[in-house]
Amino acid sequence: MNAARKHVDWSETRQRLATIQERIDQLWTPSAEERAMTLEARARLLAREPEAAKDEAAQLDVVEFLLAYERYGIATSFVHEVYPLVDLTPLPGAPSFVLGVANVRGRIVSVMDIKRFFDLPAKGLTNLNKLIIVRKGDLEIGILADELLGVRSVGLASLEPPLPTMTGIRAEYLRGIDSERLAILDIENILADQRIIVEKTTGEWRVTA
Amino acid sequence: MKWSVGVKIGSTFALVWLLLLAIGITSYRSSVQLIETAGLVAHGNQVRFALTELLSHLQDTETGQRGFVLTGLDNYLEPYTSGLTQIPVTIQRMRQLTADNPNQQRRLDALEPLISQKFGEESESIALRRTKGSDAAVKVVLTQRGKVYMDQIRKVVADMDKEEADLLVVRQQEANQKAEGAKRVIIAGTSIAFLVSLLCAVVLTLHIAGPLARISSAAERIAVGDLSAPLPQTNRSDEVGALTRTFSRMAESLKEMAELARKIAIGNLTVVVKPQSDQDLLGTAFASMVTGLRDLNREIREGVTVLASSASEILATTAQVTAGASETATSVSQTTSTVEEVKQTAQVASEKARYVSDNAQKSAQISQTGKKSVDETIACMTRISEQMDLIGEGIMRLSEQGQAIGEIMASVNDLAEQSNLLAVNASIEAAKAGEHGKGFAVVAQEVRSLAQQSKQATAQVRTILGDFQKATSAAVLATEQGVKAVDLGVKQSGETSDAIRMLADSIAEAAQAAAQIAASSQQQRVGMDQVALAMENIKQASLQNVSSTKQGESAAMNLHTLGQKMKQLVEQYQI
Repeated sequence: MNAARKHVDWSETRQRLATIQERIDQLWTPSAEERAMTLEARARLLAREPEAAKDEAAQLDVVEFLLAYERYGIATSFVHEVYPLVDLTPLPGAPSFVLGVANVRGRIVSVMDIKRFFDLPAKGLTNLNKLIIVRKGDLEIGILADELLGVRSVGLASLEPPLPTMTGIRAEYLRGIDSERLAILDIENILADQRIIVEKTTGEWRVTA
Repeated sequence: MKWSVGVKIGSTFALVWLLLLAIGITSYRSSVQLIETAGLVAHGNQVRFALTELLSHLQDTETGQRGFVLTGLDNYLEPYTSGLTQIPVTIQRMRQLTADNPNQQRRLDALEPLISQKFGEESESIALRRTKGSDAAVKVVLTQRGKVYMDQIRKVVADMDKEEADLLVVRQQEANQKAEGAKRVIIAGTSIAFLVSLLCAVVLTLHIAGPLARISSAAERIAVGDLSAPLPQTNRSDEVGALTRTFSRMAESLKEMAELARKIAIGNLTVVVKPQSDQDLLGTAFASMVTGLRDLNREIREGVTVLASSASEILATTAQVTAGASETATSVSQTTSTVEEVKQTAQVASEKARYVSDNAQKSAQISQTGKKSVDETIACMTRISEQMDLIGEGIMRLSEQGQAIGEIMASVNDLAEQSNLLAVNASIEAAKAGEHGKGFAVVAQEVRSLAQQSKQATAQVRTILGDFQKATSAAVLATEQGVKAVDLGVKQSGETSDAIRMLADSIAEAAQAAAQIAASSQQQRVGMDQVALAMENIKQASLQNVSSTKQGESAAMNLHTLGQKMKQLVEQYQI
């Protein structure tokens, strides 16, 4: 036995345990001070003046989400809802950007992975992935998002065109990049793009996005 | 003289024998005549005795007759009847005795009628006494016929007696003459025989014993080794002469042999000995002796050479031995002092052994205490093991509780996620509502913020739970290791107990052994004392040994000198 080893001070341990127990008990009954602090913070938040009313037309509400650590945004006008990615069914023979179909409240929605368009690394699918259901006319698709960051307003004036290095499909699908490097997707272009329409000839089933 | 000694002695003895034979024959004849004469004398005496007997018987008859006549009693007749029966017997004997003498026979013839008449007269008177009484009988007696007959008988008997006496005288004289003659013959013969034999003895002695005596004295001298004396010479042809010549030859031969021996004695072994004959024992022996001596001398020469070299080697070896003995003596002295030191060391060792024995006893007691302690340790370990089990169960329960918390937190996280989504959807709907949705958008934003906070909290809780689980796992692991360690400890303690028990046994044995060692070392000390004493003796002995080897060296030196001398001696012999 190593005599130099420190022995457990059992009385101190018991004391610490008692303190912990006390704190746990106190967790559910916050002290008056804490309560006051919490209430004050909420009050401050509520009392915050909204941002200066800017030109409404110059504002664009976007749903902000992450794709492989890059922030992208989709205009809320196109967004029907957001939904957790569940019950994904892969489609054999479909293009690589079509992950499959999912059942969203009884509707069959095709799921598209736009990371393929931007040459972003695939992270794999988890139940934390979300679907952003976009709709234009009768076309409804789910865009896979790694993580949802919320809804925010973006000043159109602050939008800048995509970088000149971005060419081809990237340039086509991007509406612009704001000052906070949020890439705004051009859903109208994407949905109108015929390349995402998958068709198979006779004897084969046909997918229409 | 051509006669041999045997013939001479035989003729001398024959002469003496002849003389002795003559004397013997003469003596025999004289003795026979003497015996005959003596027989005749005895015969005459017998006749005269018979005559006397006859007269006596007659007187008996007369006495019986007279007694009966006087008394008439029959018992007086007894002499008469006995005389009557004896007389004819006597007369018959006399007739036989005098059968060779006719004169006596005639007289006997005259005597018999007279005796018959006498008996008639007596029987007549006896018959008358019986028939007519004593008077008639006395009348017969008174006639004197009986007396007349008796007187005539007496006269005849006296004549016969006289003749026999005369014959006796004559015969006695003859016997005396013959005895005288025999005596003379014996005396003369014996004297002659003595003289003759004496003469022969002298002659023989002079003739034979003289030369023999000379030879004997020469032999006597030779017997004592004197060969130089002159030997008797003779030309006699008999045995004595032969003996003398042979003796001379023998002496010559002996002289030759002596000469040879002398040569051999001075070392000349080249001499050649020729044996006189096949039966010459001495010559053959001398020849073989010379040959043998030659071989022997050769061998001795070789032997002496070897002896001389060996003596030299022995001398050298003895010198080495002496040196070695000196060294040995020195070594023994050193050894003696070493043994003394060893003795002291043994004493120290004995004390140490006693000390070790005491220590071993103490160690045995200590090991008993240690065994007890280990048994208690095992009991403590068992209790610790039970406590560890309890701790393990507690930690397991804690872990399960943590798992439950994790599940709850997962649910909470799920709820936060859903709240987040709901908030986003609410924001979207608020955006869609335009200006009227602005307030709702704020609430939605707030809800979303709360959901985010919830998620962060749950994330923190998950992190804490992870740490908690890690800590629990570590605790479980530690407890397991603790249990294992305790088991190992129990096992080790058991082994330790066994080891201590064995150690105790070993120590007990060691104690016993130490006690034995102590006793042994005591004995060793005594033994060392004896060894020291023995070493002292050895030292003395080795000193004696040194002096002895020095003596041996001088003896070897002497031996070496002797060998050299012997070599010189042997080389004097010529072979």
